[in-house]
Amino acid sequence: MCIDEQLISSYLDGELCEPYKSQTEEHLSYCKACNARLEKLKKVSDLVKLSSPSDEVLSKGKDEVFALLEKKYLGQKKKHISFLRRKFEVTFPTMVTSAAAVVVIFVGGFVLFGSNSSQTNEIVPSFNLQAGQDNVRFVSNKEQGLDSYSLEEIMKYLDSKGYEVDISIKGLKPLEETSTEPTSLE
Amino acid sequence: MEIKSTDASDFKLVYDSSFTLLMRVSYHIVYNEDIAEELVQEAFERFYVKNMTFPSVDEAMFWLIRVTKNLALNHVRRHKRELNMVEKVKKMPGEASSNQDGSKQLIEQETIQAVRKAIESLPDNLKIVIKLKEYTDLDYKGIGKVLGISESNVKVRVFRARKKLEELLGKEDGYVY
Ligand SMILES: [Zn+2]
Repeated sequence: MCIDEQLISSYLDGELCEPYKSQTEEHLSYCKACNARLEKLKKVSDLVKLSSPSDEVLSKGKDEVFALLEKKYLGQKKKHISFLRRKFEVTFPTMVTSAAAVVVIFVGGFVLFGSNSSQTNEIVPSFNLQAGQDNVRFVSNKEQGLDSYSLEEIMKYLDSKGYEVDISIKGLKPLEETSTEPTSLE
Repeated sequence: MEIKSTDASDFKLVYDSSFTLLMRVSYHIVYNEDIAEELVQEAFERFYVKNMTFPSVDEAMFWLIRVTKNLALNHVRRHKRELNMVEKVKKMPGEASSNQDGSKQLIEQETIQAVRKAIESLPDNLKIVIKLKEYTDLDYKGIGKVLGISESNVKVRVFRARKKLEELLGKEDGYVY
């Protein structure tokens, strides 16, 4: 006697438990009619599966949608979702008398969701932000620029705001040269 | 692992593990990638806004599938207008397709449309079950959870849907067999 076709369908889905699974397998090992039934069901199943765009096509908007959701919901509550490094490059003519050191301050641990200026204000209230291609530079527009703060004060300030800060001194250059660079403070 | 829908890392975890699957569910109800994506986004917004806790990632996913499916069905209902779905499927521009394991195995546009037309002509209770079965990785148990029906009920419906499709597609000689 042949097996119920519904069992064949479950077998196809790998959802047949014992002892039915073994019994079905055994029957299929010699019954041509049931093998043909299994084949037909499999063909239908494959056709349905194949009539779908690929996962690649369907998931192409994945990052974009996430960014939207993140901006709309997750960004407001949590500042420290992902780690982002931004680089602030400033010159400190007052730090070294004979040469200006380009001090690079890495500020980590905050994420921007379109609120650049407010975050900038939080870090250094009297500076405007000018976003470069891959880094961010602060250029003073006001009388009281970064160079009127000591490096220690800046560090303390950032530290009190909960940012991870590490500083590296890029190099010492003669004052004459740095004064022509766009990063220098007029 | 407990999932809190408003927790940023939980949210991301659930998002990453279910986005594509939800797109498959959504797409095969509305048959339009952009609309499907909007609806998936909407489902995630509800997920967040409702501020819920789930006992596991799977449970969160079941909830999202259910919501996505309902949003998509509502969308189709609202936009039915003069054309019924079968007609829409017929007129739909085809999209490239490949099978689940990613190997690009193109099938004929006419075949895709014949298959979709056959699926859309199924009764609603069979239609959604076969879509969840073939387009998601869910097992009978998972499908049962999403739809609120028993596992054996899922089993029966999958089989009935396949038999109907076999019949419908077999009739269209030349297309399939
Ligand atoms: Zn047999």
